[in-house]
Amino acid sequence: MKVHVKAFATFREVMDSQFEMDFPVGATIRTLLAELMGRYDGLGELMFADPGTLRDFVNILKNGRNVHFLAGLDTPLDDGDVIALFPPIAGG
Amino acid sequence: MTVLEKEQKERYRRQIAVVSEEGQEKIGKTRLLIAGAGGIGSAAALFSAMAGFGSIRIIDPDCIEETNLNRQLLYRETDIGRPKADTAAKALHAMNSDIDVEPVTATIGTTPVRDLIYGIDVIIDGLDNYPARYAIADAAWKCGIPFIHGAAEGFYGQVCTIVPPISPCLRCIVPNPPPARQTPIIGVTTGIIGCVQVTEAIKLATSTGIPMSDYLWLWEGFREKADRLKIERVPACHICGKDEYQIPTTERVL
Repeated sequence: MKVHVKAFATFREVMDSQFEMDFPVGATIRTLLAELMGRYDGLGELMFADPGTLRDFVNILKNGRNVHFLAGLDTPLDDGDVIALFPPIAGG
Repeated sequence: MTVLEKEQKERYRRQIAVVSEEGQEKIGKTRLLIAGAGGIGSAAALFSAMAGFGSIRIIDPDCIEETNLNRQLLYRETDIGRPKADTAAKALHAMNSDIDVEPVTATIGTTPVRDLIYGIDVIIDGLDNYPARYAIADAAWKCGIPFIHGAAEGFYGQVCTIVPPISPCLRCIVPNPPPARQTPIIGVTTGIIGCVQVTEAIKLATSTGIPMSDYLWLWEGFREKADRLKIERVPACHICGKDEYQIPTTERVL
């Protein structure tokens, strides 16, 4: 199945801004992040507090809904999903 | 029936050509809160005053420092050490003596939020941290006041217009705040974000256009790109949803 990935703000400094990825049925957000970490050096440091622990303020949206409110990293991917990754910008 | 006076018609003549006399009158009757008088708040307050928002309350706990001067365009070198809210109010009044400006030197979190937002029609977020944003945005949601969220970091910025009870709330978009830190920031980004927020405020005040209420508008100055990121309201959100929801802490990924 195909999933469209979009990255925003400082994530764009270490990864492509948008692209498609192929996954087998049953893949989850966790699968996607593992794939991305293997693909992009530096992404792990931005997204993870230590190897394997996602920084809790990293926002991952599946079709506009934050996966914090779904099944978190176990949120299943579906064909045609748009997955957006962005860190909250805080300054004013 | 319009109540604009002759001098106001002349002052806002070019703007009335866009929003109509009735629209200008509505802007004049709108009571705006600018929460935070930093980089974004300065730009938003200045353009709000110029647009003729009739009542502006501006809140900030701090005094002006030298490091503010790369972006906080209401202040001058001679203002260093003075309270931001009072100094901003003087600058806004000098820009437009027709409007009422109420400075409030207060820390959000120690001053009751309901007092800060009392009597306000639209809130512009010029804050620099999420705990303060949540405090204002949560109260605004409960009171039915639109909250125009804005934030900036480096060349990046974001805006979203939260319109209760129809749109997602700030917690749906950013459920967990990033750690507090001194954000790297460039003045033009705060200017762009503040201007976009005032555009939203004008749309809300005049009931024209479509507010950015179901997407996050993201600005990337380094590559001159603007994107829209669709946002959906979360039924389980503990502010705007029906169910109680506990925000998770860190999650193991691999």
